Amino acid sequence: MANYLSLEFARSGPMLLAEARGKGRWATAERVLKTMKPEQVVDEVKNAGLRGRGGAWFPAGIKWSFMPKEPKGPSYLVINADEGEPGTFKDRQIMEKDPHLLLEGIAIACFAMRAETCFVYVRGEYLSSLVALETAIAECEQAGLLGDDALGTGRRVRVLAHRGAGAYICGEETALLNSLEGRRGEPRAKPPFPAVYGAFGRPTTVNNVETIANVPFILERGVPWFRSMGTQGAPGNILYGVSGAVENPGIYEGPLGMSARDVIEKFAGGVKAGKKMRAFIPGGASTGFLPPGKLDVVMDPDALKKEGTMLGTGGIVVIPEEVELLDALRVLSRFFRHETCGQCAPCREGAAWSDQIVGRFQRGEGSGDDFALLNDIMRGSKQRTICVFPEAFAGPLGSALVHFKGDFERNIGPASPVAPQGATSRG
Amino acid sequence: MAELSIDGRKVEVPAGTNVIEAARKLAIDVPYYCYHPALAPVGSCRMCQVEIVDPGKPPRVVIACKTEASQGLNVSTTGKDCVAARAATLEFLLANHPLDCPICDKAGECDLQNFSYKHGHGVGRFTEPKRQLQKHELIGDHILLDQERCILCTRCVRFMGEYAKAPQLVVAGRGDRNVIATFPGERMHSNYEGNLADICPVGALTLKEFRFKSRVWDLDSEESVCTLCDRNCSVTLDTKRNRLLRARPRQNAKVNGWFMCDVGRFGLLDHCNPSGREEGGFLKGARVAPAEAANALAEALLADRGRWLVVLSPRLNCEEILLARAVLGPLARALVHVPVAAEGGDAILFTGRRAANQRALELLGIEPVSAEDLARVAVEAATAGVLSFDSVALATLLGKAKLKRAALVDVWRRADPGTAADAAAPLGVEFFVPGTLFTEKAGSFVNCDSRLQRAARVQRPPQGILGEAGLLQELARRSGDAHAGDGVDPTARVLAALGQEPLTLLQLPEEGLDVAPAAPVVAAGEARLA
Repeated sequence: MANYLSLEFARSGPMLLAEARGKGRWATAERVLKTMKPEQVVDEVKNAGLRGRGGAWFPAGIKWSFMPKEPKGPSYLVINADEGEPGTFKDRQIMEKDPHLLLEGIAIACFAMRAETCFVYVRGEYLSSLVALETAIAECEQAGLLGDDALGTGRRVRVLAHRGAGAYICGEETALLNSLEGRRGEPRAKPPFPAVYGAFGRPTTVNNVETIANVPFILERGVPWFRSMGTQGAPGNILYGVSGAVENPGIYEGPLGMSARDVIEKFAGGVKAGKKMRAFIPGGASTGFLPPGKLDVVMDPDALKKEGTMLGTGGIVVIPEEVELLDALRVLSRFFRHETCGQCAPCREGAAWSDQIVGRFQRGEGSGDDFALLNDIMRGSKQRTICVFPEAFAGPLGSALVHFKGDFERNIGPASPVAPQGATSRG
Repeated sequence: MAELSIDGRKVEVPAGTNVIEAARKLAIDVPYYCYHPALAPVGSCRMCQVEIVDPGKPPRVVIACKTEASQGLNVSTTGKDCVAARAATLEFLLANHPLDCPICDKAGECDLQNFSYKHGHGVGRFTEPKRQLQKHELIGDHILLDQERCILCTRCVRFMGEYAKAPQLVVAGRGDRNVIATFPGERMHSNYEGNLADICPVGALTLKEFRFKSRVWDLDSEESVCTLCDRNCSVTLDTKRNRLLRARPRQNAKVNGWFMCDVGRFGLLDHCNPSGREEGGFLKGARVAPAEAANALAEALLADRGRWLVVLSPRLNCEEILLARAVLGPLARALVHVPVAAEGGDAILFTGRRAANQRALELLGIEPVSAEDLARVAVEAATAGVLSFDSVALATLLGKAKLKRAALVDVWRRADPGTAADAAAPLGVEFFVPGTLFTEKAGSFVNCDSRLQRAARVQRPPQGILGEAGLLQELARRSGDAHAGDGVDPTARVLAALGQEPLTLLQLPEEGLDVAPAAPVVAAGEARLA
């Protein structure tokens, strides 16, 4: 099982074009653009079963097939490089170390979707990613790989890097599009979906960096090769990110379907200093907490769904025993309270209210009534807003209430404020 | 067209109509905050949640504002999931909303109050400290912002951009730090600001001019029109103890849609609550009772039959214009008006022509004359005097010509009441009869698009003031006019004169009546003075 995505990650800076071409970058794109038809590329990606690595795991080929086959006017590809999920830092490795891999994938994807322009929306904090990407774009334009006559095919492929301004919500694809257009970064109500009405009102596909980085390899090595890795439902390798209290935090490439235990122990060297684990987060902050007893869950989108959580971005966070779970939860509830865009009432108020309640438990001032209240806050906001942000803040909160209820119960205060029956809210 | 079913009742609406509007057709109220029929829906308040029921599937909760009616759609507004979802939304909105209803201008017409009663929980569970934000910040020429009361529906932000074409409001901050704000250090300036207080579903945006003036349930509300330009926006006038406290736009798709401009909204407050109003009559420099001045004027007009020049005003309602035509037409040398030109209008509602009923003067055949022609004719030997119902036109005339005799019937405001300098007759005229405001009598107005609308009587004139109609009726009695006292409704008479079905004032439809003539109007006495 050979790695393919992370081969350049050990270097200290980006691989420049000359070296990248020596390693085979751009050869696949050139062959694809010169010898294949767009539909054939879409079919290859569809048959390979490539699923979106941004966290939703939607089949990429199917997403591509929603784009108009005979567009009247421009279509756009947008790369979501607004990697903001706590515990997630894989895309920056690709951009900072192997930017030509991303650009080659972009050229192929643009060709497949008949898009002439690609916007790469780079997280505001990722300045070095932006610089590496802009350098690589300039190299490609000079070499004729990108531009008005990309790879000498007469096709136009322009790539524009756009820097975000530091908002988690802009990782939601329609908020990203609003932000890209210069508007407030708030998700748009769907329908219309981006494939119909996306960036600047034009058909648009938004793909994650890692997803696109897989594309050149699929076209180069073929569907059977890709399907030989990973699971039946989710083939290929994934960049696992491991952070928190482990011996060797970092990004590790491995096939989908490994157990969380293997990723933590075999890749990251296990819990730091041989300590015990209190909990782990399987795939980024919004996927919530699992107890050590669940370490054998399979890192596969469908398997984790059955566990009531998600694979998300595959960013595992290990929380050691010395950290109280409520403290860890409060860090995340604060984060989500801070990052909700606030346009939908249930999410704006629900994220803030639940954070306040978690804060009370953290101070030992919880109330027995708060369990029902927290569940009502989640119920009243999940699936009740424009985007899935309530699902994100309910991830850690809901999982903590399921797996770590005792931590809450131990923190019910003696003088917990209980609203008297019939009274309205006090404040 | 699409036929859909809401709560088991069928309704047919044009395809693409949203479920809120389709339900409205069935008189089913779907509650909402961020949606407004005049603005593009955003779907963020989550108050309008309803259920889509497909056979064999669990009901799906959706937002009605963004759900388009389609053939066979089956909607429930009473399913338990959507009822719970709406109650949850209200609990979220109320969590940080201050309980200052007892001192809030919006109380009584507040959608947060109303929907809480209808769709909310009886008990609040929020025990955390509430957000503390700006409570009364003047953010425009007329609007105060209370950030604590705001539920962030963003109607105001969208109204300023989409309708007022003055995108000067924004949402600043993120999440629960979101607040409505202007650009740093700047205030809004727009002719449509006042509408923000109407479209704000809560008491976050209130009018400086109405703040703490009255509880809304103590107001008397009547339907009228705004007379500050010849758009004649449909309005509701709210009075208390004979004072106009608030003018609000009344929805009329044929005239003003949902809104009105600030020139009208705040101009009406000044217009209808005139300070320093002259309530007495004047006769040869002496203050007399209005009736005495009116009697003396009537005698002078009858004594010089056919020799008085009468200038009518676009401030008069149709009924007064028609009565003047009937009574003064035979008595006067000529019955004229000086057309007012448009000045400083905008492309939204304000026409800039400050002559509410000018179109009626034209349609009823009152001769238009220029100020220059009027000045020339006014000093001819055949003219004994000038009677004007318009102080502006008369003041202009007096600046151009020395009149033998002058009479004024209008509302007159003393710049500096009570002083010796202000004890003289208005404009120094021989006869002054105090006139009435359009709100002191019921009548109708015709706007620039020939739409005739009703204006109710909402105020009592000061004691002793007879009004224009009082003077004209006295003249009719003395000159033996056949119209006087025949019992025909004055509005029906106007409509008949305009070639329309003679409806009475109360029979007029809410949207008013199009009274555009089939053929172009030819003024009855055109070229008589040329």
